[in-house]
Amino acid sequence: MTSYVIRRLLGLIPTLFIITVIVFSLMHLMPGNAFQALIGLNPHIKDAAKVIAQRTANAGLNLSWPQQYVNWIVNLLHGNLGTSFEFQEPVTTLIGIALPNTVTLALTAELIILIIGIPVGVFQANRVNKGFDISTSLVAVFLYSVPGFVFALFLIFLFSFTLNWLPSMGTVTAAVPWSGDLGDRIQHLILPATTLALPSVAYYTRLMRANTLQVFFQDYVRTARAKGLRSTRVLFRHVLRNAIIPITTQFGFDIGGLVGGAVILEQIFTWPGMGELTINANLNRDYPVILATTLIFAVMVLLGNLFADILLASMDPRVRYN
Amino acid sequence: MAEPLLKVRNLKTYFISKHSQVKAVDGVDFEVQPGKVLGIVGESGSGKSMTSLSLMRLVPGPQGRIVEGEVTFEGTDLLKLTERQMSDVRGNRMGMIFQEPMTALNPVLKVGEQIGEVLIRHRKLSKAEAKKQSIGLLRSVGFPRAEQIVDEYPHQLSGGMRQRAMIAMAMACQPKLLIADEPTTALDVTIQAQVLDLMKSLKNKNGTAIILITHDLGVIAEMADDVVVMYGGQVVESATADAVFDDPLHPYTKALMESIPVIDQDRDRLASIPGTVPSAANFPSGCRFAPRCTLAQESCHQKMPELRELKPGHYVRCDLV
Repeated sequence: MTSYVIRRLLGLIPTLFIITVIVFSLMHLMPGNAFQALIGLNPHIKDAAKVIAQRTANAGLNLSWPQQYVNWIVNLLHGNLGTSFEFQEPVTTLIGIALPNTVTLALTAELIILIIGIPVGVFQANRVNKGFDISTSLVAVFLYSVPGFVFALFLIFLFSFTLNWLPSMGTVTAAVPWSGDLGDRIQHLILPATTLALPSVAYYTRLMRANTLQVFFQDYVRTARAKGLRSTRVLFRHVLRNAIIPITTQFGFDIGGLVGGAVILEQIFTWPGMGELTINANLNRDYPVILATTLIFAVMVLLGNLFADILLASMDPRVRYN
Repeated sequence: MAEPLLKVRNLKTYFISKHSQVKAVDGVDFEVQPGKVLGIVGESGSGKSMTSLSLMRLVPGPQGRIVEGEVTFEGTDLLKLTERQMSDVRGNRMGMIFQEPMTALNPVLKVGEQIGEVLIRHRKLSKAEAKKQSIGLLRSVGFPRAEQIVDEYPHQLSGGMRQRAMIAMAMACQPKLLIADEPTTALDVTIQAQVLDLMKSLKNKNGTAIILITHDLGVIAEMADDVVVMYGGQVVESATADAVFDDPLHPYTKALMESIPVIDQDRDRLASIPGTVPSAANFPSGCRFAPRCTLAQESCHQKMPELRELKPGHYVRCDLV
């Protein structure tokens, strides 16, 4: 098992290398550069052209692309992600602030997805085509069809604007004594996490319902009944144990996706996470930040896939580690 | 004769949907004597598997329903029990093994757990005791390295080994009755013989009665004390195995016997019964075998024959004999 994980981790290196090349090339294909955006349009700076040329040279941007790439990789291997052109701060500092916020949001959303999706799906399958199944299935199709940002606006309108129950901006309330308390943070988390989770809740419910139904008609479930086992044991030990396997795989794939998928929602909720950082960096051609955030999203997806494979191998005895 | 262990009277299992009514089992009667083997023979689609599932009350719902009849087992009518009471009978006083050992075991649970959970459920054993007994059970069905097998998963076993494990599971609580639905159909011929021998020796050791469902007359000849021949969801002939093999009375049974290949006879063609089993969704009126029967007369197509006792203990559903 340990050697399997190590082998898989080493296997990520070529993928990561290709990703860095693609990201680096695409980034340099974008027109303009950071200093034109920062300085060129500012009427208060005299000799703008000269300043831009100097800053560009300082940042090493007039070297050839391969040379720039090699410099970046060498710095990366030393744990140095560079300095943001826009904020004049190390990229690691910026990410150190943004990444925990995004991960908190993504994990909370995953928690909501699993806590609602799995039981609802199982309950639907257990009473298939009855009232609960039909009504919740309709809701699920609705939730799955509506884009997340629509929910965001709707939930903000309802719970923040109209009812004034929950905050709609940031991670903490500013300038109050309880600012930054656990309760304060949780309050701020509810709306964005729910919005991020809703479409996936619907998807997981459908997936769990279908898996459970499929397993219900397997021969081994009939065997379990023929042994006189109680229906709860048949459901939880024989049906669920099998029906949950595809869910864990999907779950692993989605972890990486949720981190990247929060980009738009973070803008709407002004959540100071990776999404905001990424969008700003791209608009301002802040190359070191673009490279770092894209790389982190890629690593998240790869680690999620690896996590999914490890989960699958640990849950299904038929899967071998080779 | 002693009181039968199991008495089935007028059992009817239908599959009912909005538009159709499929009579999978249509008024079946038979008895199983304690410690004896009853063979149920018939082609695919004759209702023999549905009969066995009906005895365990495991007919796949919600369309499948036992609509009528009595299944008296050790003096109680199983069809009148609540689902909870019935689950006390299943796996405890009545065990069942299925045709496909490949799919009948749960792929993600260890063999030992799947055997042990029967004992935990019905004998209230602890996990450790159940595991210990599972090892003993596996050894009794012929596993030399039972200590390792309990911790293995079904996919690590061969087909014959899985069927043995199924038998160990079904016999764990030493049931009075074992229902075996085509237990050897999916196995190689040599493995078939081993599994049948195993069932026979367990029967002799524990006094378990067996209902053996098969379409293989050779298996019946080898194992059965009594035989029920089914066709179109009905019993067409029932008697002792000797009577059925020596003196088959129903034209269908006779035709079945003639289609057994005999190795030292030189025949150009294997005898077969023309046509196919009628679909349970639209049975012919009158005798259900009449369309394929070489002896059929006009009257056979009109009126359904009754099951009559022609000789003591020998019942036949045919008006011509």
